[in-house]
Amino acid sequence: MDAQRLKDNFAQVAQHGDAVALFFYSDLFLRNPRLREMFPVGMSHQRDRLLSALGRIVSQVDNLPDLVPFVQQLGRDHRKFGVEALHYPEVGASLVATLRYFSGPSWSAQLAQDWTDAYNLLSKVMIEAAQEDASVRPSWWNAQILAHERRRFDLAVMRVLPDRPFGYQPGQAVAVEVPARLRMWRYYSMANAPRPDNTLDFHVRLVDGGPVSPVLVRSVAVGDWIKLGPPIGTMTFGERSGRDVLLIGGSTGLAPLKAILEQMAARPAPPRVHLFFGARHVDGLYDLEDLQKRAAGLPWLTVVPVVSDHDPGPVAERGTLPDVIGRYGLWRDHDAYVCGSPGMTDATVDRLLQLGLSHDRIRTDKYADA
Amino acid sequence: MTSPDIHAAQRLTPAELQAVSFQRAPLGRRGFDEEQVRAFLRQVEQELVRVLNEKAALENEVSRLRDRLTGSPPGASVVQPEDAHIQAVRILSNAQQTADQYVADAQRYSREIAEEARRGRDEILSDAQSRAVLVLEEAHRQASNAADAVAPSTEPMSGDERRDLEREIAYLRTFSDVYRTHLRSYLEALLRNVEEWAISERDSLPGARSALPRMD
Repeated sequence: MDAQRLKDNFAQVAQHGDAVALFFYSDLFLRNPRLREMFPVGMSHQRDRLLSALGRIVSQVDNLPDLVPFVQQLGRDHRKFGVEALHYPEVGASLVATLRYFSGPSWSAQLAQDWTDAYNLLSKVMIEAAQEDASVRPSWWNAQILAHERRRFDLAVMRVLPDRPFGYQPGQAVAVEVPARLRMWRYYSMANAPRPDNTLDFHVRLVDGGPVSPVLVRSVAVGDWIKLGPPIGTMTFGERSGRDVLLIGGSTGLAPLKAILEQMAARPAPPRVHLFFGARHVDGLYDLEDLQKRAAGLPWLTVVPVVSDHDPGPVAERGTLPDVIGRYGLWRDHDAYVCGSPGMTDATVDRLLQLGLSHDRIRTDKYADA
Repeated sequence: MTSPDIHAAQRLTPAELQAVSFQRAPLGRRGFDEEQVRAFLRQVEQELVRVLNEKAALENEVSRLRDRLTGSPPGASVVQPEDAHIQAVRILSNAQQTADQYVADAQRYSREIAEEARRGRDEILSDAQSRAVLVLEEAHRQASNAADAVAPSTEPMSGDERRDLEREIAYLRTFSDVYRTHLRSYLEALLRNVEEWAISERDSLPGARSALPRMD
């Protein structure tokens, strides 16, 4: 297997962009019509994801230490979609057919062999990772909605109970699927540390025109069931650092920070914590009451509400999160956790770096706008 | 991903067009309408996909014809089912693209409606707030006038204290009168709004439903 030959061939094929993924899925569904129902009606996001995953795999095909963990994660991730070992050869056949089609005259028996070998290797890694995962946890969890509270016309806080024990680290998120929007998984962070009763809280903001969030904010009711994938995410609390902590959340980016906050509160000696909670308008500070109630009972916790789009008066600081954090002083000796929209997260990290915080002390989680 | 620098040596791909994002113009500088730029990029991307699809199909056709010309009969009859499959792939791809287009249109439609509703809500709220401020100011002004109009007391005995109380009573009475009047007329206007809303919704619903894209 010649890595450079694979890279060159893929670079040539990838020039066709979306058409490559389009061909691949059409070929796959024509050969295996029953696979179609595992995918959503609209396929454009799906195609983007396929191309970017392929691009990443090919670019690292000669760097196994980085590639293998990524591919193992892919294998585990696909369990919740109902993918099984028997699907892998079908996908491999369509992949090679697609590459051959777009390679035109430069296709050769050697390339065919290279791709087949590479795919067999990678699918073996994926299948093994999936099987290993299957021995420790289910493919997905069914969870029933116990409580659902509209905090604003476009914000909801809900509590669900998974049907089986659900272990996770505070700060992590899960993919969620609602029956009204099948095959469309969206990530939401748990807003609480694991509880003895196994319940989970989620904070959901309605994204205009999005397919899933409007259902979660407006349509679901107590008693409804949703599906949860396995927990993922690396913005988790560094137990051993011993430094003080800065939590910065924009809108529902608060959720994972609240889980981390609960985790710290359960420690014998919690660090000093500053929590900045930002929104554009005062009524977007949907969870401030609860945060302030907690802060009143916890001497080590300071909560700072921040409003950017108008003068909030005495109830909150005015400005964007990075501005207000800059005004508040020095954070050089802190660990920072930042979660919010991509724009807010990037701007906040930039400001923290300017303020002298080093990269390895900043952990982030961005939520997608879809 | 974040800056529009695309290598000159490399060909522009639809994925790059989709991922491209521009820096905001510096404060005080004017930029293009963001929605228009995005809509145009979407159009260019779709066109590029179409062109690339056609190109791939043509290349395939060329190599098929070339094979036939160079006279390689061993594959000649075997090529047939392969061609049919490619044809089917092309038809299914077109159908999928049409479906994607409908889904994207429906999502854009619902996003625009939601954004419009959000703007409407903000306007109503800020309108109500400024109205409330106006009503209070007006009530205060009239009540102050009424208080000033209280005639100086005829009994020197009661003195300043009594006059102050009378002023206070006149102020409060007028204030509450004016406030109540304004509040009543505002609530009536709101009620009328709600009724109009219900009527227009009833009238437009059958039409709106058929204008929505079908998604079964």
